[in-house]
Amino acid sequence: MDFEDTPEQERFRTEVRTFLAEHETELDHGDGAYLEEPGIDRINSLRKTQAVLFDAGLIGLTWPREYGGGDGTNAQQAVVNEELHRARVAGPVGHVGLGMCGPTILAHGSEDQKQRYIRRLLRADDIWCQLFSEPGSGSDLAALRTKAVREGDRWRIQGQKVWTTLAQHSRYGILLARTNPEARKHRGLTMFVIDMAAPGVTVRPLRQMNGHESFNEIFLDDVMIDDAERLGDIDDGWRVALTTLMNERMAVGGGGGEIGIRSDALIAHAAVRLPQLPAERRPLAYEALGRVLVESLAARYTGYRLQTGIEKGASPGPEASAGKLTAVRVAHATADLGLRLLGEDAVFSRSRDGDWRWATSQASVPGIAIAGGTDEVLRNVLGERVLGLPPDKPRSQEPATAKTNDR
Amino acid sequence: MNFDIDDEQRNFAQHARKFFSEHAGTAAARALLDEPGEPSPGRELLTELGFSSLTIPEEAGGVGSELLNMALVAEQAGRQLAGPSLATAARVAVLLEGRNDLLEDVATGRIAVAVVDGSPEASAPSMDVTSASHFLALDGDDLILGPGTVSVGEPIDATRGVGTVGMHLAETARVGSAAQWEKAKLVACTILAAEGLGAAERVVELAIEHAKSRETFGRPIGSYQSVKHRIVDDWVAINQLRSLVWWAAWAADHDPGKFPIAASAAKAYCAATFETACETLVHVLGGIGFTWEHDAHLYWRRAKVDRLLLGDETEHLTLVARRSLSNVA
Repeated sequence: MDFEDTPEQERFRTEVRTFLAEHETELDHGDGAYLEEPGIDRINSLRKTQAVLFDAGLIGLTWPREYGGGDGTNAQQAVVNEELHRARVAGPVGHVGLGMCGPTILAHGSEDQKQRYIRRLLRADDIWCQLFSEPGSGSDLAALRTKAVREGDRWRIQGQKVWTTLAQHSRYGILLARTNPEARKHRGLTMFVIDMAAPGVTVRPLRQMNGHESFNEIFLDDVMIDDAERLGDIDDGWRVALTTLMNERMAVGGGGGEIGIRSDALIAHAAVRLPQLPAERRPLAYEALGRVLVESLAARYTGYRLQTGIEKGASPGPEASAGKLTAVRVAHATADLGLRLLGEDAVFSRSRDGDWRWATSQASVPGIAIAGGTDEVLRNVLGERVLGLPPDKPRSQEPATAKTNDR
Repeated sequence: MNFDIDDEQRNFAQHARKFFSEHAGTAAARALLDEPGEPSPGRELLTELGFSSLTIPEEAGGVGSELLNMALVAEQAGRQLAGPSLATAARVAVLLEGRNDLLEDVATGRIAVAVVDGSPEASAPSMDVTSASHFLALDGDDLILGPGTVSVGEPIDATRGVGTVGMHLAETARVGSAAQWEKAKLVACTILAAEGLGAAERVVELAIEHAKSRETFGRPIGSYQSVKHRIVDDWVAINQLRSLVWWAAWAADHDPGKFPIAASAAKAYCAATFETACETLVHVLGGIGFTWEHDAHLYWRRAKVDRLLLGDETEHLTLVARRSLSNVA
């Protein structure tokens, strides 16, 4: 056991730290990975931030060099992540591409696709989105109905997607569609790369309870996709999707990274606000702060253990689901305590001295508890696949609903 | 960063696991409830095997090992509800640092020491005093060592040897020991949390076993999400507790700046995690979990007492908050 850097890591850390300091003005910063001020759209400067980091070799460090990556180790990536966190650099805007679409293309895409897409994805030249959920299939993803019908060398897509993060800014997406309505529901799906600028793609942003428009609904009307844009084999899309989902749970909390507001921001906030509370309230506030910080430390150090496993070559298993569960809980508790420490101003979306972070986070966390696997789905995964508890009911052997419910 | 134990430590833990499963266990813990006495495996065996002197330096007759190794042993001890607590042994080793003469007496078993909190003349309820011949206490700013009179109440958990002590004829073991006293307490908290980790993990295993096999309304109760999710939440918490315990134990020797926060975090998190896991087990077992005959209440007793020993959850959460805030200032 050892939390210290090797001399080589220490040199690398210094390099990264120096770069982030010297380029501070070219980078966006914040108190939480995707914590954005309501009414402020900084998508373009966030793209620039990612490009600056990529050009310095700090994005895609562990990705293959032939596609724009750095051929680096997970240990180096961990150093970079820590330094980005330390310097309060905003999370990469292309997080869906980095966390989910890119790894899926690397695992299942053709050489041509990797050449065309990966480098631009890493640099946020192209933003990517993930077209999975539908109005009729959320947690039960494999019940999706969007159809892909083969026509020669092309596929005709018809259907509807929803909760698609970043779609309104995306150049490409990965699309899971039903290619075989006769097969059992997990067996008849295929994954594609979709050009979001193609005719027949309509993207409509959805306004969320936090006031932001992060996700969208998407209508796909006779969109044509070349067979060369297929990812993996025909009807093998579920297996491809599992690559995506496993990477997603690692990206969202699994690696010990915080979601929501950083705990050091909470500590700094409490250092100012807690002493201003009436004396009889302070003991309770200390205890509440301690509780949030302990939960946060427990999640962070568990992430380090998972990270150590990955550095030693293990691939993220279903255990990573626990990281997302706990990260959401920490984010919820952090936002709640931060808000309550504002005292009377906690009833406003923005305190009278301009602090919007806690109210925004309070209104954002409910979405994170749903996205990328609801708390309940994650508990089922852990209970059944890690602890070996029996499933809720026997899995349906029925064919998918696509045929009977054809639109 | 390498946040994992190595193969040698794994083997060592395995060795400890075997020892405690042979020399302690729920049968012994149950027997103590009817017939007061020393918990198993007892001081003599723990001394003989070197488990209680793991963190005593070699030149003082100990093993000279790091606290992390002690935590790995403690985890296995906790799994079998063993006693006296290795937390006491670890605390004594820190308190007597530099007094190799006294440490040697401890390492060889010439004296059986417990640490008492509160006033030396009329102590607060303290652990492992029923099996001790000598007591360490803080008298003003000085550490004192001596015999004492033990009063035992009606124990909830008989394996903890809790009682109050009135010390007399004590000698000063060390002058100006307040800081060392604090450190020793946090070391003990870390090891107590390690014992709680091992016990809690056993408790969740029992809950899983039962939830897989017990059927109601024609299917195993573990298939119901209301049962499954409760067990999963406990398992997740125990996995996180392991991270805090390992971190704290490592920090005791390698990162003194972070150690106080890590130790208090582990102790506070253990209090809630172990207790909740036991309450889940009793509940998931149904009527049998409420019987004297089942082992569940033996773990439950340990959890209900441990959460209050060496400072309760509120005390340690507050310490984490105050220390984190003072790092800002």
